[in-house]
Amino acid sequence: MKYSWKSYLSVVLASARMRFLTILRYPGQLVLDTFIPIVFAAMPILLGRANGGTNAAAAFQRNTGTPQYVAYLLIGSSVFTIVSLAFWHMAYWLRWEQEAGTLETLYLVPVHRIWIAAGTAVYSCARSLFSSLTAYFLGALILGFNPWQGELLLAFVFLLVGMVPLYGVTLLYGALILKVKEANALVGLMQWGVSFLMGVFFPITVFPPFLKFIALLFPPTWMTNGVRSAILGVGYFFGKWYLDLAVLWGFLLLAPLFGYWVFNMVEVQVRRNEGMGQF
Amino acid sequence: MIDKPVVVEKLSKIYPVRQRKGLFRSQKDFVQALKDISLDVEQGEIFGLLGPNGAGKTTLIKILTTLILPSSGKVWVNGFEVSKHENDVRASVGCMLMGERGLYWKLTGRENLEYFGALYHLPPASRKKRATQIIERIGLEDIADRTVETYSSGQKMKLAFGKALINDAPLLILDEPTNTLDLPSASELRSIVRQLHEQGKTVIYTTHIMAEAETLCDRVAIIDRGELLAIGTVAELKDSLRWAKVIHVEGVIPAQAVKAVREIAAVKQATRTSQNGATQLTVVSAEGSEILAELIQVLTHHGASIHKLTPQEPTLEDVFITKTGRTLAEDTRVR
Repeated sequence: MKYSWKSYLSVVLASARMRFLTILRYPGQLVLDTFIPIVFAAMPILLGRANGGTNAAAAFQRNTGTPQYVAYLLIGSSVFTIVSLAFWHMAYWLRWEQEAGTLETLYLVPVHRIWIAAGTAVYSCARSLFSSLTAYFLGALILGFNPWQGELLLAFVFLLVGMVPLYGVTLLYGALILKVKEANALVGLMQWGVSFLMGVFFPITVFPPFLKFIALLFPPTWMTNGVRSAILGVGYFFGKWYLDLAVLWGFLLLAPLFGYWVFNMVEVQVRRNEGMGQF
Repeated sequence: MIDKPVVVEKLSKIYPVRQRKGLFRSQKDFVQALKDISLDVEQGEIFGLLGPNGAGKTTLIKILTTLILPSSGKVWVNGFEVSKHENDVRASVGCMLMGERGLYWKLTGRENLEYFGALYHLPPASRKKRATQIIERIGLEDIADRTVETYSSGQKMKLAFGKALINDAPLLILDEPTNTLDLPSASELRSIVRQLHEQGKTVIYTTHIMAEAETLCDRVAIIDRGELLAIGTVAELKDSLRWAKVIHVEGVIPAQAVKAVREIAAVKQATRTSQNGATQLTVVSAEGSEILAELIQVLTHHGASIHKLTPQEPTLEDVFITKTGRTLAEDTRVR
């Protein structure tokens, strides 16, 4: 049976709507999401102010290319919010459905899970972009810097282009959770690993070569640096914005396909063995 | 060309399982949940899958609905082979599995139905209309706009049943749909199943309640420990015991008394079971009341205390007991 693209789009929107309806019944969570990046960035900012004193900005510029360490750290934590929520929403979505018993139900409908996952990704993108952008502008107001500087539109393009491969990577993670049936510890561990690799509070140029190579294989690293370069002018990895963006486009084409392939493989294995009902 | 709603050929399913051996050790093992099952379901019939808990009914249903893949054998549902045309199978089947666990508890009943309508590719206007029709049919109008978490267990089961109707499929697969329902609600649900059957729908209905299968199903397959023991209409299955008379004995019946009863020449089978704290002995014999005197004498001589003794016509449960030596109430999960 063939369905139209409109019908699949309707599935994606229904899946996103279902997630929004659910979270709207926990409104406090939406408010908290906005404050988390500000609090997360405030700690190193205050540490910098306490230890660096009047020389903090100059010392920071020597290593990062910008004296605006407050904006630098807040941008890092705002982008990290997008990355972290993407993992939480996608990974926890699967685990949540698994534990609730609705995951099996999703395998009874004539729609590949990828469309339902796409709906969850749409929900996650909207929610994390809202939290991240609100945190950036609210944080600028609280911490005292101009949020309208630099090329905001280009920064936004880096965010949007980077989100597609990011959700591709979360599918890999989803496959792992489908297999090992554990989300909290895996996402918790990933959060710290990712924040470290993407250079949430520091430039990855300070990494030794091998670690730097690993960090560059990860799309959020390019997202973070792209946004910082567009707003604060810290410098693109390849010198030009379009070259860095081209790398993100490469990830955009490869990561979702790879994630889909792995997810499908794990799914078949689970259905061949214990089935989706076990959690 | 497969023209029957369901055709199953030599279906087997082997699960890998881990046997826990203490805190950190485990050993891989295999469990055969289905053994060479072959059956088919006719157009427009209510087909019962009867068996105790752990018999393999749900595994069979899960294969029919593409949730798990078979280890060997072939299955066609509405003409589509399940392992090759998953989406076609799913689109042509309405399922109620997992009962209330298949619902989103933070959504309202209506939102649940509309969401699943979208997943079955119903256009927005049709899914709203269909959800309203179903809500009326299952009698949940008053609570349709409350979140499911506020529903009673029976109301959740009704909604789960309603969800199976959302795509108006020609084949309904219902896995123990009256579980957790009180008697009036169970009877109401069975009545809706009958109405759907009268409208031409084919229904596969699993249950471990003998009376339910007996009153509702056109044909019944009895499954135990992954094997198909018998298949036929209720009358045919009972007829397989037409040579037999069944005597139910209730009371305190020690093992040596059961052993002695089995040695009576006319007794073909004697099975002792416990239900709700009472011990019952089901005696199948070629003779009926002719052996009563000898039966009472043997039982009392071997220390049994008889509270009630009833000769009766064979039921489906007796067919099951005769074939397996156990009652339907027992959990025969393969360990």
